[in-house]
Amino acid sequence: MNLNMNSMESMVAQIQGLSSTPQDLSHLHSYLKQSEDLLRSESTRLAPLLAELDPAKHSLGYLYILEACTSVPVLKEQANELVLSVVRFINACAADQIRLVPDKFISLCKRLKEHVMLLDAPIRGVAPMLTAIKKLQSSPEHLTTLHPDFLLFCLLAKCYKTGLSILEDDIYEVNQPRDFFLYCYYGGMICIGQKSFGKALELLHNVVTAPMSNINAIAVEAYKKYILVSLIHLGQFTTSFPKYTSSVAQRNLKNFSQPYLELANSYSTGKILELQACVQENRGKFEAENNLGLVKQVVSSLYKRNIQRLTQTYLTLSLQDIANTVQLSSPKEAEMHVLQMIQDGEIYAIINQKDGMVRFLEDPEQYKTCEMIEHIDSSIQRIMSLSKKLTTMDELMSCDPSYLHKAGRERQRFDFDDFDPVPTKFNI
Amino acid sequence: MDWAFGLRTETLSLNQLLLYVYSRKGFDLIFSRSLLIYRGEAKKKKKKAKALLMDFSILTNAMSSKSYDKIATICDKLKLQVAAEGIAFQDEWPYAIHLLGHIYVNDINSARFLWKSIPEAIKESRPEVVAAWKIGQRLWTRDYAGVYEAIREFNWSPEAQGLVASFAELYTKRMFELLLLAYSTISIQDTALFLGMNEDDATNYVLQQGWSVDIASQMLTVKKLAIVTEQKLDPGKLQRLTEYVFHLEH
Repeated sequence: MNLNMNSMESMVAQIQGLSSTPQDLSHLHSYLKQSEDLLRSESTRLAPLLAELDPAKHSLGYLYILEACTSVPVLKEQANELVLSVVRFINACAADQIRLVPDKFISLCKRLKEHVMLLDAPIRGVAPMLTAIKKLQSSPEHLTTLHPDFLLFCLLAKCYKTGLSILEDDIYEVNQPRDFFLYCYYGGMICIGQKSFGKALELLHNVVTAPMSNINAIAVEAYKKYILVSLIHLGQFTTSFPKYTSSVAQRNLKNFSQPYLELANSYSTGKILELQACVQENRGKFEAENNLGLVKQVVSSLYKRNIQRLTQTYLTLSLQDIANTVQLSSPKEAEMHVLQMIQDGEIYAIINQKDGMVRFLEDPEQYKTCEMIEHIDSSIQRIMSLSKKLTTMDELMSCDPSYLHKAGRERQRFDFDDFDPVPTKFNI
Repeated sequence: MDWAFGLRTETLSLNQLLLYVYSRKGFDLIFSRSLLIYRGEAKKKKKKAKALLMDFSILTNAMSSKSYDKIATICDKLKLQVAAEGIAFQDEWPYAIHLLGHIYVNDINSARFLWKSIPEAIKESRPEVVAAWKIGQRLWTRDYAGVYEAIREFNWSPEAQGLVASFAELYTKRMFELLLLAYSTISIQDTALFLGMNEDDATNYVLQQGWSVDIASQMLTVKKLAIVTEQKLDPGKLQRLTEYVFHLEH
């Protein structure tokens, strides 16, 4: 017992001494790695040691000790203390020190997640998880294992707007495929909640077309939502997958989403009554999968689609005719629908109440204004940087030994050009 | 004004306290709470002392400077910070102001989610929170005239008053712009509903904006504003064009 206390003391001294320069830190790192067993065995008695350390200066040592402390199962009463101590560490720690041991930091955050869920207060986890992500990321393009946990907290605590902020960063580096699937799926749900259906469609598309060797549940659920969002945002749904989708997905996803595909079929007929009948038939399934809200939005979007279709045929139309064609109950209701679409920018029209007519207009955008130039400019800049990124990735990959190995194997025959005109061997 | 003030009241005399209170315009919430403490509600003091750890100074500053568009972001951020500290903030949280902040910037989605997260007990005991949500609900269902009713039928507290009045003005302007965009002719009755005024006031308002009225048919003719487009270019654009060409060449 005394021996262990002595070694604990010496550990604290080491941590305090070796936490200043990068070389010291790497010494400390190897020392701590060796002392892991000791930490595990003493996990119940480590709490007082933390009081002697400063989480900002001695982040590496603090992390090791805190992680060992929290590895014991904890009762609900103590969960609050644990959560508070982890949150304070996350807020105070030094990013460069914790990046030396990302796995430990991630497992600490996972434990935070467990306990926050145990306390049934997901809102407590939102801010700390966001800080943790920012400190762990090596750049805003890096996807960490903490991203999906953060988005999950946002969804449960209904802080959708906070979640959106992290979704704006483009991701270029992914470590674990599962993180990516979950990130895109939860991200899609947050965008749906905030009604940015375009971004939601993009994220869900990523889940559905991502490389996968086996069908996974996340992709199945994402496909269902993908169908619905596609109907709401684009007004149509194509059952054919893009070329880059994995064969596993192409073969299996449709089998799990029969009711949704039926819904897409009846949507394409454009008849409101048929669509409503289809919804009624499959209502139970939609409700059980928590998609009923989205399905209702699909139904209301059909009215909009039908009105938009009218703009392609008519220049002016009476409100009564609109009500009849789109199957609304009265010209007043048709007027309100058209007004709402004008407000949302989904249609360009002018209502003439005196004659009860609507005149459909062309998009007034002349593409000549300064704002439009700025918009086009920023798009071009983004595409240029994306293109540069692609070139670097291409170069990196062409030097990759496994790629060269595979490419070399596939060259079965020699082309005529491969014969070197200069002889490689001289026979003397 | 910081919350620690509440704990110091024991050392101030009643006169000093009253002077301090009446010389500041701001959250009645803070003042009523500090007065309660002064009156020696010692038992509740410990619990309130914990709640007073929330620092509402940024929010009060924004409210007094009338930067209402920032209220929602400030409230969101503060709420997350407070929640992370594990403080039970629900009872003291200014939900009505938070909801109105979202409504002011037309973010009805966030207002809806906030409403869903409010505990039932608060919804039942604080009528102002319910009234604030009523405005949001009318906006969500696009009950254009109903929004004005919801604004007018409640007796708003002094701290919410400024925010609500400012929103009412903003909403009327937004509605007017929508009418300009969407209608060529519209009945006086409908205009009055959309602008939240009686028919005479509405007619006068739009006549001042250049519309014309036909009393016989009770119709107003909308006058569209000429679209002003800015077309100035600056030399920086030339630099950018060079960059594009360079990129395309390589």
